[in-house]
Amino acid sequence: MNAPRSSALHTSLKARGARFDTLLDMPAAVQVADTDAQRAAALGIADVSCLRRIGLKGPRAGEWLSQRGVAVPADPNSWVPVEGGLVARLARTEFLVEDGPGASTVTRIAGELESGLEGVYPVWRQDCALLLAGERVMDLLRETCNVDFASSAHAGEAVTLTQMVGVSVTVLRQQVGSRACHRVWCDYSAGVYLWETLTGIAEEMGGGAVGIAAVWPALVAG
Amino acid sequence: MTDRLPPLPGEWIDRQRPIDFRFEGRAYRGFEGDVPSSALWAAGVRVLGRSFKYHRPRGVLSMAQHDVNTLMQAGQRLNLRADVEALEAGMDLQAVNTSGGVDGDRLRILDRLGAFLPVGFYYKAFHKPARFADAWEKVFRRLTGLGRLDFATPHIRTPKRYDFADVLVIGGGPSGLQAALAAGRAGAKVVLVDENARLGGSLGYQRGGTAEGSNSLDRLLRELADLPNVSLRPGTLAAGWYTDHWVPLIDRARMTKMRARAVIVAQGAFEQPAVFRNNDLPGVMLASAAQRLIYRYAVKPAHRAIVFTANAEGYEAALDMNANGVAIAAVVDLRAAGQGGSLQDRVERARIPVLAGHAVFEARGGNDRLAEAVVCPIDAQGRVDTASPKRIACDGLMMSTGWAPAAALLYQSGCRMIYDESVAQFVPEALAPGMYAAGRANGVHGLEARLADGERAGREAARGLGLEAPEAAPVMRGPAGASHAWPIIEHPAGKNFLDFDEDLQVKDFLNAAQEGFDNIELLKRYTTVGMGPSQGKHSNMNAIRILAKVLGASPGDVGSTTARPFFHPVPMSHLAGRGFDPRRQTPMHDRHEALGARWMPAGLWLRPEYYAAEGATKQAQVEAEVHAVRNGVGLIDVGTLGKIELFGPDAAEFLERVYTGRFANLKVGMTRYCAMLDESGVVIDDGVVARIAEEHWYFTTTTTGAAVVYRELQRWNAQWNLRVGLVNATGAHAAVNLAGPKSRQMLRQLTDIDLDSAAFPYLGVRRGAVAGIPARLMRVGFVGELGYEIHVPAEFGAALWDALMEAGRPFGLKPFGVEAQRVLRLEKGHIIIGQDTDGLTTPDEVGLGWALKLDKPFFVGQRSVQIVRARGLRQQLVGFELEQGAATVPKECHLVIRDGAIAGRVTSIVESRSVGRTVGLAFVAPGMTDPGTRFTIRAEGGVMVNATVVPIPFYDPAGERQKSPD
Repeated sequence: MNAPRSSALHTSLKARGARFDTLLDMPAAVQVADTDAQRAAALGIADVSCLRRIGLKGPRAGEWLSQRGVAVPADPNSWVPVEGGLVARLARTEFLVEDGPGASTVTRIAGELESGLEGVYPVWRQDCALLLAGERVMDLLRETCNVDFASSAHAGEAVTLTQMVGVSVTVLRQQVGSRACHRVWCDYSAGVYLWETLTGIAEEMGGGAVGIAAVWPALVAG
Repeated sequence: MTDRLPPLPGEWIDRQRPIDFRFEGRAYRGFEGDVPSSALWAAGVRVLGRSFKYHRPRGVLSMAQHDVNTLMQAGQRLNLRADVEALEAGMDLQAVNTSGGVDGDRLRILDRLGAFLPVGFYYKAFHKPARFADAWEKVFRRLTGLGRLDFATPHIRTPKRYDFADVLVIGGGPSGLQAALAAGRAGAKVVLVDENARLGGSLGYQRGGTAEGSNSLDRLLRELADLPNVSLRPGTLAAGWYTDHWVPLIDRARMTKMRARAVIVAQGAFEQPAVFRNNDLPGVMLASAAQRLIYRYAVKPAHRAIVFTANAEGYEAALDMNANGVAIAAVVDLRAAGQGGSLQDRVERARIPVLAGHAVFEARGGNDRLAEAVVCPIDAQGRVDTASPKRIACDGLMMSTGWAPAAALLYQSGCRMIYDESVAQFVPEALAPGMYAAGRANGVHGLEARLADGERAGREAARGLGLEAPEAAPVMRGPAGASHAWPIIEHPAGKNFLDFDEDLQVKDFLNAAQEGFDNIELLKRYTTVGMGPSQGKHSNMNAIRILAKVLGASPGDVGSTTARPFFHPVPMSHLAGRGFDPRRQTPMHDRHEALGARWMPAGLWLRPEYYAAEGATKQAQVEAEVHAVRNGVGLIDVGTLGKIELFGPDAAEFLERVYTGRFANLKVGMTRYCAMLDESGVVIDDGVVARIAEEHWYFTTTTTGAAVVYRELQRWNAQWNLRVGLVNATGAHAAVNLAGPKSRQMLRQLTDIDLDSAAFPYLGVRRGAVAGIPARLMRVGFVGELGYEIHVPAEFGAALWDALMEAGRPFGLKPFGVEAQRVLRLEKGHIIIGQDTDGLTTPDEVGLGWALKLDKPFFVGQRSVQIVRARGLRQQLVGFELEQGAATVPKECHLVIRDGAIAGRVTSIVESRSVGRTVGLAFVAPGMTDPGTRFTIRAEGGVMVNATVVPIPFYDPAGERQKSPD
């Protein structure tokens, strides 16, 4: 395979003058503007779609992951960190696995799942994946989603499947380096709409689109 | 500032910050913290606006959000409520409902024409003769409507937000503050909102000449400040109640959608006006309005006043005014015994005459303001003795005869309210789960009692949430007598107003009841009582009393009207806010944009309708795109199709059940058309099913049907509990259809897959790489040419498009849009679900009988199809062509006419270059389906166009081109 992967947001970021580096075979916006750091302090939104991920479904999916040494959350709607990445349990028999920088769990298990196994079915995730950081993240969430992310039910290891500005999303809180961030995944086809809406609101709050380097330097260093 | 009082403790104005503004062209000065009404009243201005119907002069009424006759315009801002909105520097205010200014309003003549404008006059007049209707409409449009809209007003974005609380307390008076304190102490996350600029409610202004209220307020605010889990939000209106305790909170900047686990309604009560002749003259106001003017804005409400009362609050108001320099000419008490007790003693010790068993029979004015009151004895039955009236000069007449609970949110939450005779008001009898009421809204009136009731409600709300709080004893309602049962003084000359929004007098209600509108809901609609901006806050209770008297019933029997959100007027900008209209786009979206795509919506998606070129018409472009597919090669983005993966040992069985066709025998590597029915046998979707591996299937649905189909499949799967796994891959896969006689040759440049027909036959599916991208290829024939649907992961969609366009250059590859695809498929006679079908179409009606495998044990809709089939066809889809040279081409949905009757409708039609004539699909009646049958179509303008039934497909009937041997 020699074709480049492409984020749903590539054109939008290019139009903003972003600087791209190839991360995990995808041109990724590592910097959007010189002011990334300031905006990230207020409310930065970075495109981290480049991270590799896969989904699994089926009655044996959890057991199958465990057999391969992948930690599995005990309860639905929760997640566990794995090698800088994460495994989220979206339902009783549905999982999202996303590699962190330098990890290879996704690549390792994807090869075994081409057409599924007995009780284990692949979900080829092509998400638009965002990282939200900064002091005003909660303000943004309160303007765009009717879930109380400040409550204990949606903190810590919780995974929330809900709608944001009318788009189905998966949301969790993740510590990225020294930052407490929110991660948001949505369908590839809704990515541009979600991105434009969120960054538009973020700009009103003193933030906006930022490059990955401003919020997740380890991913850039990779 | 003739009527500004010396500084008072707790006043809301900041005397260090003067504000200059204008009203009706004149300059005035107020202070920060003022509202326009208070600043103008302080400056001696008494006429603040004109009434809606009769253009009578109006001044302060409540200073509590329902002075609707003092709506003002400030530049581009319409209908500011002068008793609520903060005064701002530079404001240039105009009263909204005048012709020629508030003082010289030319329309005040309408007050003299009142006899010709009784309630409901517009239902009875101006209808005939009809030729004058337009003229009358212009007259009424000019007379009605408030304010002048400036279309250049800038668009202001007022985003909404969500917020959350364990307990939402609505109302920042004594009971609300105490409730917040109790719930907060129990550990609840509490949000308290109050529509006023500052908290305290009546504690701040109903002082009765003592410091008891302000001391309580200081204590409550001090103790609340120690609770970090309690958020106090003055200047915030709780505008309504919706299911699950969603409450829209309106502040100056935005609407907040508050989701609370429990709601305490402690909004108090609205003081109700007494009804007597000329009770609307400027200077006549609610006693609580006078107290608000004094203690909030340090404004003397009058120089010499009468208090017309029937409760303790009136006596307290007299003491408050007396303590602040207002000479009280008399306290006129409807009750024969007066108030009695220490309160009356205090009033009398202040040398204020008390006229017990008296009523204000009428107010009289001069120069558009109150000048004197006529006071007469009144008996227990409400009969006034006018034999020896007392005329008392005054410039203020303060009414305090009763209260109506601010219970709109309780009503909206489903609370059952009953009329409690002991307090003469409606009170909650059964509250909805999670709802609590406290204070005056609960029928509890004394200060100590209201504090106790707030404590009780706060504790109960906390306990209801599972928090620990001591049990609290119930608080008795009362004391009795806060509201008089009949504060209505009839007068032969009328003008005794009951609804100040709509200028409704007592006689209007009597007449309406006499005309048969004797149900409170009918009465409301006929008289329009409560339909003005104040939503009946000062009128509904008295309207109920009048109707009850007419009917010989109690107010409880009459009941109240429906309380709907919003509770107060809310700016339209807050409702509009920021719109969220999700849209989806395929990974090739930007490529289409660069190629000049003209977009069309398809569900949430945007799809290229066609690709525009400079100097070329849409029709020419579409024809060129069709031509490319028929003669060379074309490329269309079909990534919007629903795409679903299915895994598991029972996958074939699952498909057998959800689709009409047979799939268990489908070989790996092959595809098959699939049609889906609902349980009533109606065609709801179609697509192509591919068998990728023995237990791995991949199938497509229509673009707009994808979400519904996936949801239905999940539902069936949950019901049947088969061993299958469903994955919605719609957005995860990009897809294109490369179609045309040159498609195979072109595709060979990019793939190692053997494309020969023997290796990859028509309806085959293969996996491999295209341009180095992992792909699934399906040979399909929707457009009737050799073609390949290529599905790849979304993140490679743009790369696939680029590679195909590049490789296609030597072959003249042309992208085509939805419009060309519609032409191509119609030439083949292929239907589009939703266009050539409707919500009642059965498979037999659209020629899909071949796709029904009725010998299967079961599929969804099977039994219905059998039943419907036995009844015979209602209509049938046929192909037709127009006569050559038809001058008018009908459009989709034009009617098929036979023997002068409707016999069907056109579903699709196109002028086809490929077949050399105009062809289409139409539903026709049974018996009209044989080829050669002639019928007519009623086109635009009633033009009748001749058509003939012809066999379909119109193009390549043998299907040789799509099968396309090498």
